Amino acid sequence: MSKRTLPRLLQTPAVILLLLWMLIPLSMTLYFSFIRYVLNNLRRPEWTTPSFSNWRGFGNYEYVLFSAKDFWLAVQNSLFIVVCILIFTVILGLALAILVNRTFPGRGIVRVLLISPFFVMPAVNAVLWINMILDPVLGLNGLAVEGINHVINGLREFPVLGAFFSMWPELVPVSFRATQTSAYAVIIMVTWQWTPFAVLIFMTSLQSEDEQQKEAAILDGANAWSRFRNLTLPHLARPIAIVVMIQSIFHLSLYAEIEIVSRGNGNKNLPYLIGEFTSNNIGAASATGIFAVILANIVAIFLLRMVGKSLMD
Amino acid sequence: MAAVAQTSRFGNIFWPVLAWVVALIFFFPIFWMVFTSFKTDADAVKPEYLFFFKPTLENYTNMTENYDYWRFAINSAITATFATLFALVVSIPCAYAMAFNPSRHTKDILIWMLSTKMLPAAAVLYPMTFLTKNFLAIYDTHFLIILVLSLINLPIVIWMLFTYFKEIPKEIIEASKMDGVTTWGEIKDILIPLAWGGVASTALLCFIFCWNEAYWTVRLTTTEAATLSKLIEGNRAPEGLFFGRLSAVSTAAVGPIVVLGWFCQKQLVRGLTFGAVK
Repeated sequence: MSKRTLPRLLQTPAVILLLLWMLIPLSMTLYFSFIRYVLNNLRRPEWTTPSFSNWRGFGNYEYVLFSAKDFWLAVQNSLFIVVCILIFTVILGLALAILVNRTFPGRGIVRVLLISPFFVMPAVNAVLWINMILDPVLGLNGLAVEGINHVINGLREFPVLGAFFSMWPELVPVSFRATQTSAYAVIIMVTWQWTPFAVLIFMTSLQSEDEQQKEAAILDGANAWSRFRNLTLPHLARPIAIVVMIQSIFHLSLYAEIEIVSRGNGNKNLPYLIGEFTSNNIGAASATGIFAVILANIVAIFLLRMVGKSLMD
Repeated sequence: MAAVAQTSRFGNIFWPVLAWVVALIFFFPIFWMVFTSFKTDADAVKPEYLFFFKPTLENYTNMTENYDYWRFAINSAITATFATLFALVVSIPCAYAMAFNPSRHTKDILIWMLSTKMLPAAAVLYPMTFLTKNFLAIYDTHFLIILVLSLINLPIVIWMLFTYFKEIPKEIIEASKMDGVTTWGEIKDILIPLAWGGVASTALLCFIFCWNEAYWTVRLTTTEAATLSKLIEGNRAPEGLFFGRLSAVSTAAVGPIVVLGWFCQKQLVRGLTFGAVK
């Protein structure tokens, strides 16, 4: 056996498994996206089994792009949700990482408390938030608004102040089960779950920051903001890029949260739309799947360009 | 650090207090879930019992009859354990070869592995259902879930192990080669003992990801191999009247994993950033 053969042999199982895992289902999706394939169709029973004789060319793609009304909504929503989560997690993550990077009593406990949401399983996260926290009647959201209304009503009885408070409107809790607001609910719960991840990575990176440089800057009279702007932020550029990359990968295929929060209320992203199509129109589901792959690839190529090099250092 | 800390007296009190407040806010939903799990379903929706109530364990004692919790928990434990083991068995030789005998393609293979992770799962939902249901007849089996869970985590496991193995001096491995140790002996007697901490934290992280996975475990199971994700997702309806029992089963589902997570938070950074941030 030559010197090269053994290392190759050791890598083979992993490579082959991943290759099969990637290629077989994906080529089937590609095939189904070019044929008419509908699970329940009494008038055209031949369409219910996959076959080359049902060739439809780019028909499914045209259907998804121009006739299926939800496709653009789903693309828009996918991007909206991902971008909002990214903005919130990065900004919150930076602020919290800097906050926790100081030494203070109980820092270890603070870290443990902060990181905990990341380990909550997504299904529990969604069920917990939408039912117990955001529900407009029974959740803390509803209870809090009711409590505030109660206090304001009480204040209305007071002689002079009462006139001021009686001008206040009765507050109504926001329902997070409507089409648009349920997207906000998803953003809130995922931000809660993934901010700890950003904090953790930024914190790890802050520990390798050059303290001498910072102290020199202080001696030179640089204020906190300009130290952050000119020293800390450039130092964190790479971790920020990595946080953005990893979160984009995860959140473009967000599913459990949407399924639990928005089922049937019109709010959907691409994975959810594919799930809907899959109950009947496999052709359309596959075409949408190919679009999702293309979207993920655009994001991935863009991001790998940005951080790919630094991964190998 | 020292220079920042001595800025002002006000800052010395204000920032730590703020850090504590924010940490408590972030932890609050988890606290609330555990807190509510000790209320009866009736008490859980009454504002007058919001903070003060008579704690009860009945939600936990009734968990088996309300939700059949243990069946799902055992499925989660079995699939996550075996998926982790299988992923390690496949990854250790692979990462070993990549770390100690890199070729010019090693870098590309690693990046390619990472890119398989970017494939949206939903895109292959129907083919996977079709293959496993009609063709292979392994739909809703432990075998299938173990296989899928290990495959989706394989890239992360290989990357993590690769970064740990790279830190071991090459000379140690080469010296053992001179002594005529076989490859299997090198992995078993030298590599794994030296990188034990790395292997253990990789396994722990892989286990957590398997346990929390919520796409394939939901879409490729019905009853036999259904995991806790499936159980919780099945209860998505507005369950105002069942907050107590829902909290109890949720606490039982995430509690052990959150505690495990506390122990591997440092390694998490390396695992999730593919070694780019250490």
